[in-house]
Amino acid sequence: MSLHALSTDAPGEVVILSGNEAIARGGLEAGLGYAAAYPGSPSSEVLGSLAPLARDGGFYAEWSTNEKVAIEGAAAASFAGVRAMTVMKADGLNVALDPLTSLAYSGTKGGLVVVVCDDPGAHSSTKEEDTRYLARACHLPLLEPATVEEAKEMTRWAFDLSEAVGLPVFLRSVTRIAHARGSVVLGALRPPPRTARYDLKDRFITLSVFHQVLHQRIAQARARFEQAPFNRCEGPADASRLVIASGPSFTYAREAVRLLGAGDEVRVLKLGTTWPLPEDLLGAQLRGARQVLFLEEIEPFLETEVKSYWAQHAAALGPMTFLGKASGHVAGSGDPGVGELTPEIALRAVGALAGREVALRSEAFARKVEQVKLGELAPRALAFCPGCPHRASFWAIKAALELDGRQGVVLGDIGCYTLGAMQTGYFTLKTVHAMGSGVGLASGFGKLDLLGFTQPVVAVIGDSTFYHAVVPALVNARYNDSPVLVVVLDNATTAMTGHQPHPGTGRHAMGDLAPALPIEAIARGLGLPTEVQDPLQVDETVESVYRLLRTDGAKLLILRSPCVLLPSVKRLRRAAVDTTRCIGEACGCGRFCNRAFSCPALVWDRALERARVDEVLCSGCGVCIDLCPREAIAFQELA
Amino acid sequence: MGRGPSELQAQVLAADLCTACGACLGHCPYLKTLGERVAFIHPCPRDEGRCFEVCPRASLDPESLDRQVLGAPRRHPVLGGHDGLYFARALDADVRARGQYGGVATALTLFALESGLAGAALVTGGTPTRQPHAVVARDRDAVLAAAGTKYSACPTLEPLAGLLREGGEALAVVGRPCQVAAARKVEAHEKNGRLAALIGIFCFWALAPAFYRFLAGRPDLQRAIKMDLPKDGDMAFVVNGRAASVPLDEIRPLIRAACQTCFDPTAEWADVSVGSTEYDPAWNTLVVRTARGRDLVERAGAAGALEVRPYPPERIPILEEAVQRKKLRVLDALESGRPEAAYLRIPAAQRDAVRAHGRA
Ligand SMILES: Cc1cc2nc3c(=O)[nH]c(=O)nc-3n(C[C@H](O)[C@H](O)[C@H](O)COP(=O)(O)OP(=O)(O)OC[C@H]3O[C@@H](n4cnc5c(N)ncnc54)[C@H](O)[C@@H]3O)c2cc1C
Ligand SMILES: Cc1ncc(C[n+]2csc(CCOP(=O)(O)OP(=O)(O)O)c2C)c(N)n1
Ligand code: SF4
Ligand code: SF4
Ligand code: SF4
Repeated sequence: MSLHALSTDAPGEVVILSGNEAIARGGLEAGLGYAAAYPGSPSSEVLGSLAPLARDGGFYAEWSTNEKVAIEGAAAASFAGVRAMTVMKADGLNVALDPLTSLAYSGTKGGLVVVVCDDPGAHSSTKEEDTRYLARACHLPLLEPATVEEAKEMTRWAFDLSEAVGLPVFLRSVTRIAHARGSVVLGALRPPPRTARYDLKDRFITLSVFHQVLHQRIAQARARFEQAPFNRCEGPADASRLVIASGPSFTYAREAVRLLGAGDEVRVLKLGTTWPLPEDLLGAQLRGARQVLFLEEIEPFLETEVKSYWAQHAAALGPMTFLGKASGHVAGSGDPGVGELTPEIALRAVGALAGREVALRSEAFARKVEQVKLGELAPRALAFCPGCPHRASFWAIKAALELDGRQGVVLGDIGCYTLGAMQTGYFTLKTVHAMGSGVGLASGFGKLDLLGFTQPVVAVIGDSTFYHAVVPALVNARYNDSPVLVVVLDNATTAMTGHQPHPGTGRHAMGDLAPALPIEAIARGLGLPTEVQDPLQVDETVESVYRLLRTDGAKLLILRSPCVLLPSVKRLRRAAVDTTRCIGEACGCGRFCNRAFSCPALVWDRALERARVDEVLCSGCGVCIDLCPREAIAFQELA
Repeated sequence: MGRGPSELQAQVLAADLCTACGACLGHCPYLKTLGERVAFIHPCPRDEGRCFEVCPRASLDPESLDRQVLGAPRRHPVLGGHDGLYFARALDADVRARGQYGGVATALTLFALESGLAGAALVTGGTPTRQPHAVVARDRDAVLAAAGTKYSACPTLEPLAGLLREGGEALAVVGRPCQVAAARKVEAHEKNGRLAALIGIFCFWALAPAFYRFLAGRPDLQRAIKMDLPKDGDMAFVVNGRAASVPLDEIRPLIRAACQTCFDPTAEWADVSVGSTEYDPAWNTLVVRTARGRDLVERAGAAGALEVRPYPPERIPILEEAVQRKKLRVLDALESGRPEAAYLRIPAAQRDAVRAHGRA
């Protein structure tokens, strides 16, 4: 990444930035004074690139405990007249929604930009949500960049819009913007003014009477959208075939028109301001169109909005055919509205609009693809890293539940350990929902005893998740005396999203030391019996889980061992198989280490017919040493 | 039908018929125990396994065990094969003080170790109010520390497979009847004669782990150093030198499910079996069953470890009746097709003999 490029004040210079960096740069060029975020792919690198620049740049940046407090902190800055930004993934918006819908009523002052990165195709998400619906539900304006360059420009513009209409403004990015790289023309940096102050004449109150004010503000935003530089039309003005596209789909549309040689017959309307729709501009573009194709991700949002506009103005606009997700011309990887829009899908759809055949692949290329024997590639399941403490934790939890024998139910949560629902975690987790939900569910299950429920209940959460959303659920379980066992897999970091610090790590986003808030101190403060155990000591962990399963009330077990990928975790030794003690299939263990425990570093040596430790992969956690029934695995010190 | 882990899981573990003898443990990394429960912590991929072979609840064939142990068909339909029935007690004062009754089981174990007959003894350690654990005893202190009855199903045989795999020492085992039967099934595979002495203790039922949960709610009993189950009486405790008791009706629901269908209260395939006399708490009932058992008792007696006297003839019917009652209940279960009793392979002639006994 290009910290230097991000922070150079060289207007006019062209640099290569990722979409997330471009958004950060847009903030810096807008005089950003306050940035707060909770990590979540694909959004994490926005704050990740702002934080190291904050001290020198004279602005504030923080990793917040969750998205709700992130937006509340940013709103405070806005109320004090400071330009503020908050960043999250789509799931995070759900968490922040209550304050955000309130801010829409109360209004804001300093520019407040809410960056939400959607993840079409759910490359790194459990859900595939389309933020645009929520922008409409909040009644807040939304911008959608089509390129990396535009992401920067729009961010800057969004601050102006926010101040002009007195509302938070959404910038909706997607994975193919966030993680793409592109050239960006730098503008001038603008240091934030040192004038933060709450003017006591200001009042930011959420009251239903402001619903009407909100509608007026949205009307103002719509008016500005009519003039926004992010909407434009390409192609012959009299073409009756029109593509309406937003986000990266616009670039696919443009490419498709070029590949099809349909530039004389097809117009492409690029919309960068997708809610509220700039209706005058839209009406002008629809006039004369007879066939309209929509290209957008994820859901048919523009498609429905435009159809609704057309229905209102049908008499003036005349009959029109709509091609898109509803008509089946645009389908994601699954149903319409599922999966990413690819250039291929766009090409096929524009082909249908233009009535042209398309060769998706040149013959030569198609032949090449055939020759790659994809079917022969070994399928690889998602798996915990070698030596990951989560694997040991799930092994122990599962063993303890089998020994307990009462059909205990393990409820999952969100983090690397979500893989506990898959083979690598022995299919231990039976439910996965939102951050903190596992504990809320557990609390509920725990109270079903009245209705004949006798199974013990375990919730498995991560350390970052604990602070994010677990605490209220824990309070609930404690208050209502629900007999749940909450197991915190404390790997000393927010691993899944790239090792961001959290309140337990003793560090802030800006790198300075912070007071660490140990999970056990919080839990004990709630009056919960709390134990700490190293999950790499498997027998002891099994024993702890087993014992706690059989105690009354809510209780907490912290399984503490750092993520093996943390730079501070040094690899001092590794495991090695003594091939005289391992007797292969003759043992009867059924390749226990390699097949049952299945750390990826434990491979089966087909020539020797013995287990072998892959010396590159092994992180030296030592769990297999304890599990091997023949004591055939031992540590080897690394020089 | 297979004879492996899946069958053990389906027929014994999932059916709640496991007696927690511990014989299936220690062979593999899949079967584990905690809190007197035995479970597969991960599915074992094998079709056949020692776990199933040695389990006394996978199947129990009294005829073939009689043949293996006695070399002959059984001579007594209710008490099992034996050639001597006695009252006995230890002579060592420490053993008498620590033993449950006369301390015979402990005295014989000590003698086996001290005479070099066995290099190690498998006994059951702990105090009566906390979950007990298996102990591999190699000296007097360890054997003495494990004296006294713990009324739950400790998987004492857990270390057995490991001991037989490594090292070459001879072993003595003190166990409940289910454990003695399991040890005989192990012996059928280990033909090297390392199981040198099998000392069985009588057992009409053991308590489930829930018993310890029950005790957790009874702080007054937590520090009991002795527990007893007098015939037809309440459960008796000795706490700080004082007697306390819990009505049997409160205890009965805590009996381990598997014990309800146990056909062998006197450890019929042990070398010797030791029980209470239900008469004089300073003495034990001692049943000598095998030549090896006879030899052990005689040598221990000669060495001054043990005092033996004839069983009072008028008390024999009382003992037989108690055992017969239990066997008849289980036979009823078996014959009414209850799956919990299906593990028993009892030929018709033997069933008839149990029924006919004492009716002459
Ligand atoms: C669960 C249970 C129920 C019993 N019920 C009866 C009964 O109804 N009628 C009757 O006559 N006798 C019963 N007994 C046997 C009796 O309590 C004495 O253990 C036996 O008479 C030996 O007495 P002792 O004086 O020789 O004991 P000790 O010299 O004290 O020796 C007892 C031996 O048994 C071992 N032991 C203790 N607890 C267990 C256990 N849970 N599992 C395996 N081994 C153990 C000890 O380690 C020790 O080696 C029962 C025993 C158990 C464990
Ligand atoms: C509401 C919400 N915010 C953010 C995310 C993104 N996210 C997924 S996993 C995760 C981190 C979990 O960290 P932790 O609980 O410490 O578990 P680890 O990954 O370290 O095992 C985050 C922030 C999300 N899925 N939902
Ligand atoms: S020590 Fe064993 S379990 Fe741990 S990483 Fe190495 S091979 Fe895997
Ligand atoms: S009865 Fe014994 S051998 Fe059978 S499953 Fe239980 S512990 Fe294992
Ligand atoms: S009653 Fe039978 S099955 Fe139960 S512990 Fe005693 S000997 Fe074993």
